[in-house]
Amino acid sequence: MNNKERPKYNTLQNVWWMLKVAWKAGKRAIFFCIISAALEVAYYLAQLYIAPEVLLRIEQRASIGTLLSTIGLFTAAIFILRGLMHYFTQNSLFPRVDVRSAIISKVTLKSNMTSYSNTLKEDFQKLRDKAYQATNDNGQATEEIWQTLTELLTNIGGLIIYLSILSKIDPVILLVIIVTCLAGFVVSRYTNNWRYAHRDEEEKYYLKKSYIRRKAESVELAKDIRIFGLQNWLNDLLDKVHDVYLAYAFRCEKAEVFAEVVEAVLTLARNGIAYFYLIKMTLNEGLSVSEFVLYFAAVTTFTTWVMGVLKDLSKLHKHGMDISRLREYLDYPEPFKFEDGEKIPEYEEFELQLSGVSFRYPGASEDTIHDVSLTIRPGEKLAIVGLNGAGKTTLVKLLCGLLDPTEGCVLLNGRDIRDFNRREYYRLFSAVFQDFSIVDVTVAEEIAQTKENIDYEKIKKCIDLAGLTSNIEKLPKGLETHIGREVYLDGVLFSGGETQRLMLARALYKDGPILLLDEPTAALDPIAENDMYMKYGEMSKGKTSLFISHRLASTRFCDRIIFVADGGIKEEGTHESLMKLGGEYAQLFEVQSRYYQEGKEF
Amino acid sequence: MKKKIDFRHAIAMNLRGVRELHRVQKSYFPLLTVKCIFEAVSPYITVFFSAQVLKELAGLRREEVLWNWVIAGTICICVLAIINAFLKQRHETLLNDLWGRKEILFIHKMFSLDFSELDKQENHDLRAQIKQNENWASWGLMRSQRAYERFVTGMIGMISGITLTVTLFTSPVPKTAGRLVILNNPIFILIFAAVMVGISVFSGKLSGIAQKSWSNYADFATLGNRLFWHFGFIGLDKKRSVDIRMNDQQGLVAAYWDGNSVFGVDGPLGKMFMGKMGIYSSMGVCMTVLITGFVYVFTCLKAWAGAFDVGSVTQYVGAATAMIANIFAFTELISLMETNTSYLDKTFEFLDIPNAMYQGSLTTEKRSDRNYEIEFKDVSFKYPGSDVWSLRHVNMKFKVGQRLAIVGENGSGKTTFIKLLCRLYDPQEGQILLNGIDIRKYKYDDYMDIFSIVFQDFQLLCQPIGANVAGNADYDRDRAYKALVDAGFGERLESLEKGLDTMIYKDLSDDGIDVSGGEAQKIAIARALYKDAPFIILDEPTAALDPIAEAEIYSKFDDISGDKTAIYISHRLSSCKFCDEIAVFGEGQVIQKGTHEKLLEDHDGKYYELWNAQAQYYVEEV
Repeated sequence: MNNKERPKYNTLQNVWWMLKVAWKAGKRAIFFCIISAALEVAYYLAQLYIAPEVLLRIEQRASIGTLLSTIGLFTAAIFILRGLMHYFTQNSLFPRVDVRSAIISKVTLKSNMTSYSNTLKEDFQKLRDKAYQATNDNGQATEEIWQTLTELLTNIGGLIIYLSILSKIDPVILLVIIVTCLAGFVVSRYTNNWRYAHRDEEEKYYLKKSYIRRKAESVELAKDIRIFGLQNWLNDLLDKVHDVYLAYAFRCEKAEVFAEVVEAVLTLARNGIAYFYLIKMTLNEGLSVSEFVLYFAAVTTFTTWVMGVLKDLSKLHKHGMDISRLREYLDYPEPFKFEDGEKIPEYEEFELQLSGVSFRYPGASEDTIHDVSLTIRPGEKLAIVGLNGAGKTTLVKLLCGLLDPTEGCVLLNGRDIRDFNRREYYRLFSAVFQDFSIVDVTVAEEIAQTKENIDYEKIKKCIDLAGLTSNIEKLPKGLETHIGREVYLDGVLFSGGETQRLMLARALYKDGPILLLDEPTAALDPIAENDMYMKYGEMSKGKTSLFISHRLASTRFCDRIIFVADGGIKEEGTHESLMKLGGEYAQLFEVQSRYYQEGKEF
Repeated sequence: MKKKIDFRHAIAMNLRGVRELHRVQKSYFPLLTVKCIFEAVSPYITVFFSAQVLKELAGLRREEVLWNWVIAGTICICVLAIINAFLKQRHETLLNDLWGRKEILFIHKMFSLDFSELDKQENHDLRAQIKQNENWASWGLMRSQRAYERFVTGMIGMISGITLTVTLFTSPVPKTAGRLVILNNPIFILIFAAVMVGISVFSGKLSGIAQKSWSNYADFATLGNRLFWHFGFIGLDKKRSVDIRMNDQQGLVAAYWDGNSVFGVDGPLGKMFMGKMGIYSSMGVCMTVLITGFVYVFTCLKAWAGAFDVGSVTQYVGAATAMIANIFAFTELISLMETNTSYLDKTFEFLDIPNAMYQGSLTTEKRSDRNYEIEFKDVSFKYPGSDVWSLRHVNMKFKVGQRLAIVGENGSGKTTFIKLLCRLYDPQEGQILLNGIDIRKYKYDDYMDIFSIVFQDFQLLCQPIGANVAGNADYDRDRAYKALVDAGFGERLESLEKGLDTMIYKDLSDDGIDVSGGEAQKIAIARALYKDAPFIILDEPTAALDPIAEAEIYSKFDDISGDKTAIYISHRLSSCKFCDEIAVFGEGQVIQKGTHEKLLEDHDGKYYELWNAQAQYYVEEV
């Protein structure tokens, strides 16, 4: 619980890590940092000297030729530097995006490949959110750090050069500048800390704003809005959430203004002292106007370098914290074995067994599954039924290795599945769950789950079996039509029933030796549902199959039914034997079939 | 994109953008104006005071005069800095607020839009495009704000700059200066202005070309952005996490993600900016340095010839440099407005979508006997953009207080029928009559008052239960309570400490409670009861429920309906048993009508087929 306090890696380690990532993904990000910083220092130096040097020529009444060539020289230098600076600044965007993309790839890889049980842990979820946040846009640590590093290099360079210029004047004045800088920095930190300390509050208000806006715009709600006249309520809510956020922003603003006012007063002091000192020097020691201009400019801009270095360091520290969280996410230990696990032997048949399995969700006070033993014989058609919340889905997740039992073990042909490469184990299952992950690719790619080596003959067979052929034929580009509208504007949107059948086709294409269907008919009409039951035999031919449902009727074509309630197997047998038993299953069946039963009388 | 955008149109569109934004946040633009004025003037004030000090130093070096200038200058600058700080921070706060509130413009549009327009995919796409443009580089409304900002700053800045440089031209080179007297010729004012404007315009053009190259790639870049958001953030979606693993989906995700380098070094934009575009845009920026060089030459020559001292040189050079930035911003402003116009056109296309639905002015009678009769007369309908009839020649009459069930396969027109009934769409052919009068002749809001509907995809908000039921934060607590109890939510309600004030869902706060699908449905039904309309319609209310919850809704259905006319849509035929009449839909038509018993007698009918598809599993072969 204490890991909130200290990041695992310090700032230097994180900078080093970023450099390593960039070395692979976009070397230019590093080079451009250095080049930009060098150019910038040179540019400011030329800017600093142009006025004094030109004025000096006039004061000295040098020849017109010298005067013009001085101006020409400086103009040319500034011209070139300014151009190069802009060129590199503009081009540094692209390698930086490359580096950030590389990091997002790492984060995505972790998220999509990590042990499923990790995704249920709260601390993992928190780290995940942080990791995504740190890569979200151009302003986040993983990209912004290059800007900070560039600025830091520039400021350090400027600081050193200006120090050498100012070494000719009284050290007391330098001291005054540095002290006022430090004071300014302390105040600005106060503001930053205020923001940082209140960021959870801000986040909360922000969330409210975007939630209400999102809902108010959603087409699903649009119908309800019209029928129930929700406009006024939503308008009030919209005003309220924006007002609340604005009130917070005003508070925040106060802290910011305070810091700036202090800074303005400090600048007044600094400029006053610089003027006082330099004018005295000019009057007493006969400093020329051009020297005065040089020193005055140097003194007043010196502050910028000092402040710059301090601000960049604290920014870098903040980036470091964000990057450290991201790395902790990438480092998060994997409880499952993947590539380091054993290869699954070439079995002919697959027998699954639960042996004394209990499972408790992290943070829960009770077992969701308690002491369950079950053997699924090769080729068996098993149905798992029960009410919502009885633990059916958890049981299935244990069987297919998404969760590891807290007690007991899951065996494949007598071997504990924890020893195997889990990804290989997943390949044994052709599964349709209630929640899908459909990505916006073509229909064919969605079914085959790959871009290459798609077997179109097999796809056609599978969509036919899933009862989707006529729907696909209607699509403008058939199997090559894109799904969804998030990426491709010509994509199609499938209805609930079509989606379910698409997922079925995908599972059939995968052709794993174990078929697993979790509530596959919820969105289907009776005829389509019946159609699916009729085809179930063909789908599950030669496979071990699991059918999960709360519609008891659908389980009759299975060899064996297990009835799950209160985290355990309550009853078990064929439909007939369970009805004869007259237990909970029979009762539930009675409730569900009441209306149909009476129908028979006619 | 290629079509030349009329500049007057560009100004008009950007001005309208500003006006629209002003409507949702009234204090922003006045404040912005003041802020721009102060910001534009400030650098010239600094230039002025430091020049005064230098003039004195270069001339008589009177100590007293020097101190006076120093004190006046530093204090003046300090006061300006403080004013600027206040303005800047307030501006940032309000700008942030404006970003949020501009969404309200779109939301209000969506509130008032005909549902048929709102439901059109092309309008969704348009809205999505507008959002993407905003997210990508704030193209659209927010850029017109920036154009306004540039305009004011540029204008005020230029005026200040001219004020400080007037004396550059009015101070003559003394006759003793020989050939340099030529600098007194007024032609130099023209040359000076021509160089300034010429170079600025040219460099502005160059930058404009570079900027346009961004927007030329807009379609490509937004596709890149969509790929980025879709495939880059899939891992955040909890619902996907099982499926991703079971299907080893990462491979497919990576194949799309890795091939997408729109903004990378090897992407078209990256390549372009490494080459030609990078050079254009850099030239655009550094060209302005030439103006500084020119100003130096001109002023220094005059100073050298004795027209003024070195202190004045700094004033002119300083003022001219500040002015260059202003002029440059101005020229950029032009290309900014031009480019933005094509985005604003999209924005306004959305905000100006017309409502085509006819709105009558008749009021529906408020009848206490609830004696409303609705009749479908030969109604046909197809969705916009589709050439298939979703409903064809539908004739139907509801009697008051009747229970009607509508059944049929997916896609047979059940939900479309309801959408026409409650005027979410208007039919292309035929009429729907309320008490004998075409429903289009009634006032829309009035007509809507007679319906309560629980849609399949009903929505509840993360707000207190009571407010959800009433659809308002201010409501009759007793009635809300009764509605919830009637809908079967009473027991759960009793167990909640805060009762009606309990938040549902956890989206907004941890205090919220989670409700199951069945409970959410009950709250949605309660909302329909609270409205107490003469018609109550339930669309597939049991699809997500388990048998127990399903049976509960069935058994309550009669109580729920009370003396109302009730319509029940389902593909679970068990629901038909308690309805007075059943309408069977098939391919957009009512193919059978009658009571359950009567329909079952027809063994060739659709109803018999549907019924048996389900009932066979429940009917015990004794």
